[in-house]
Amino acid sequence: MNVVITGIGVISAAGKNLAETLDTFQCGRRNAGPVSLFPTFLSYPVFEVKTIPQRWQKYEMRTLSLTLCAVEEALNDAGLQNGFTGFRVGVCLGTSVACQLNDIDFYRAYRDKGVAPMDSVDRFLKGNLAETVARTIGVRGPYFTVVNACSSGADAVGVALSWLRSGICDIVLAGGADELNRIPLCGFGTLGVISDSLCAPFDRDRAGLNLGEGAGILILEKEAIAHQRGKKPQLYLAGYGSAGDAYHLTAPRPDGTGLETALRKALAEANITSRDVCFVNAHATATRDNDRIEGMVFARVFGKDIKVVATKGFTGHTLGAAGGLEAAFTAAALREGWIPASAGFVHPDDEIPIIPVRSQTPVRGRFAVSTSLAFGGNNAALVIACLENHDL
Amino acid sequence: MNVAGIGVVFAGGRGINNYDDALRRGWMSPSLIELPSTQNKTFPVYRIELETITDKEFFWTVRRADRFSKMAMIAALDALQDSGIVLDDKKSSLGIIVATAFGPHVTTFRFLDDILNYGDVNVSPTIFSHAVHNAATSYIALVLNSRGPTVTLTQFAFSFHQALILAQIWLHEERCEYVLVGSVDECGTVMNYICSRKLKIAYDGRIKPFHFSASPVAVPGEGSVFFLVARGKCPKRYCEIYGVSGFDNHIEEDEPDMYILDADGMAGGETKYRNEAASDVKIAGYAPLFGSMMTGSGFHCAVGALELKNQIQYACPVQDNPYGANVCMVTKETKIDEISCIRYNCVHERAVIILKR
Repeated sequence: MNVVITGIGVISAAGKNLAETLDTFQCGRRNAGPVSLFPTFLSYPVFEVKTIPQRWQKYEMRTLSLTLCAVEEALNDAGLQNGFTGFRVGVCLGTSVACQLNDIDFYRAYRDKGVAPMDSVDRFLKGNLAETVARTIGVRGPYFTVVNACSSGADAVGVALSWLRSGICDIVLAGGADELNRIPLCGFGTLGVISDSLCAPFDRDRAGLNLGEGAGILILEKEAIAHQRGKKPQLYLAGYGSAGDAYHLTAPRPDGTGLETALRKALAEANITSRDVCFVNAHATATRDNDRIEGMVFARVFGKDIKVVATKGFTGHTLGAAGGLEAAFTAAALREGWIPASAGFVHPDDEIPIIPVRSQTPVRGRFAVSTSLAFGGNNAALVIACLENHDL
Repeated sequence: MNVAGIGVVFAGGRGINNYDDALRRGWMSPSLIELPSTQNKTFPVYRIELETITDKEFFWTVRRADRFSKMAMIAALDALQDSGIVLDDKKSSLGIIVATAFGPHVTTFRFLDDILNYGDVNVSPTIFSHAVHNAATSYIALVLNSRGPTVTLTQFAFSFHQALILAQIWLHEERCEYVLVGSVDECGTVMNYICSRKLKIAYDGRIKPFHFSASPVAVPGEGSVFFLVARGKCPKRYCEIYGVSGFDNHIEEDEPDMYILDADGMAGGETKYRNEAASDVKIAGYAPLFGSMMTGSGFHCAVGALELKNQIQYACPVQDNPYGANVCMVTKETKIDEISCIRYNCVHERAVIILKR
């Protein structure tokens, strides 16, 4: 059964919707700056979302606000703004920060006095991302939040594909979201993987990631349902692969076999070969290890001439949102027929056999791949297809 | 899908045989701890002791792991061992799905301690890397050298149900041959405090599953339970997980031989359980053995699997029965073909795990 993408919604430092984001990509703007959302002594540049529409700010949970903003755009794009009557609708969202009970003021009060106000606990208990989105838009699920660290968004899209193909849902809202938060800023900082300057994915002189925030949502549905609703879908979710490294909590497996397995599974599920793929949207955090291993695996699977784009130079590393955002960017690029320059990349690295695109580049083809790697050794790959000039 | 093996870590110990023994023994009193906020009343909690989650075989591999990861890892390993299935040549055919309501919050608070004590720069990278929800899943994969797909998922009332649905789909679409699917939650000091503020605590230590109260009592618990599930035949089969009904995923429900009720005081009013109690079907609830947990459904599912495999009904550990419901009062051999494990959430949505012999 074919699963189609009928709606895309994104918000990040690159833009508060898809049109704004594509404009940012075309102009090569990098909207990074110092942290303004919370007090910190850390001076790393970050990619913050500067404007969240007022109507989505009421929840006092930034990740939820970002999510609902992207959900609204995706639903409008899919023509589902008026509801889902008659359809079984699931919600599967990935996050990292939003699933943690990590309110520092609450904890400080508890630690100092043995008692603490319950406001932040109440917000947390009402704020499971997928559950809250499901209630907000009035659907009954299944729904859950994937917490696979930085591959959460991609894995959530993969789960949605399984739900749809199994027949338990007609439509699924899937993707990822995360806010910029002090905990990962301190945590990634102490791991030594944050750059003091703007990130440079795949670059010889890359010095680490920049954190960002955002949400990326896809509306996925059975092709028959989309046709029944009068939609003529162009984009398809064709395959998903996932594989573990079984190696280390924070470091990727040096031989890259986990990622390679995930990629080959995704290609097999899409019933295509690597030659059918016209570009890859890489996870490309700009850390030394991630980019070297990804580049090595891409060369092995696709050949060293494969077109590769890294978008974290525009968004920062948005953690649980990254897989959702990058799946959305991949789908949009297939539809638009171009990929942006890999912002930050200047010098090829001798240890990396692929070279990402340096300028806006036309792409022609049916299939593209988006990859995600995560703490814990999770590797995920999504195959997205475009119907343009082709029959699936 | 078939349940091929079960691993349990609960306040009464480790392993499915210990769990079976505990079910036969009946109610076990919780630990009593001091909480500054409970005005000198001792606070009951079903805690896992350190020795329960100390495994010499994997000591070095998991030396940095926190309690949350260790609970999950041990329950998962025990489930695989209990199954008698050797996965040596099938590394990529094992999927791992872990459900949790609250994740490793104790470690998250330790990381906040670091920030508060030492500032943003001097925090521990080890603590940070263990504060992510999927650390436990990662440890399971690491000790099993499993390269298959993994998902850690969170939701409050129905996370275990959602995990089962996904496991069933993964097996059906042949994404993997076996799935280790389970749940884990821990109850640290801060969570005890939150429970003391948000729940009505049973200070006598007794959860009362059959009071069907609008404001039920709870005794917080912690632990982990894992199931090795398979599509095909398996050497040691407990039962079939026929399906999970709920949300918009409806499965025709036959009248079972027994309802196991997740009533444990954790998810708000429990009046809805009167629907099941009003039937002639035998009802049971075993939360007084392992405590109140958002992910308690997994522990009840393990009881149901044991009951179906051994054709035995276990006496309920706390039998207060003001409504005169048809409660399992004694442990005895009996013919059981189907059990429905029932859970309502705080807005009275219902989900059912259907187990068949």
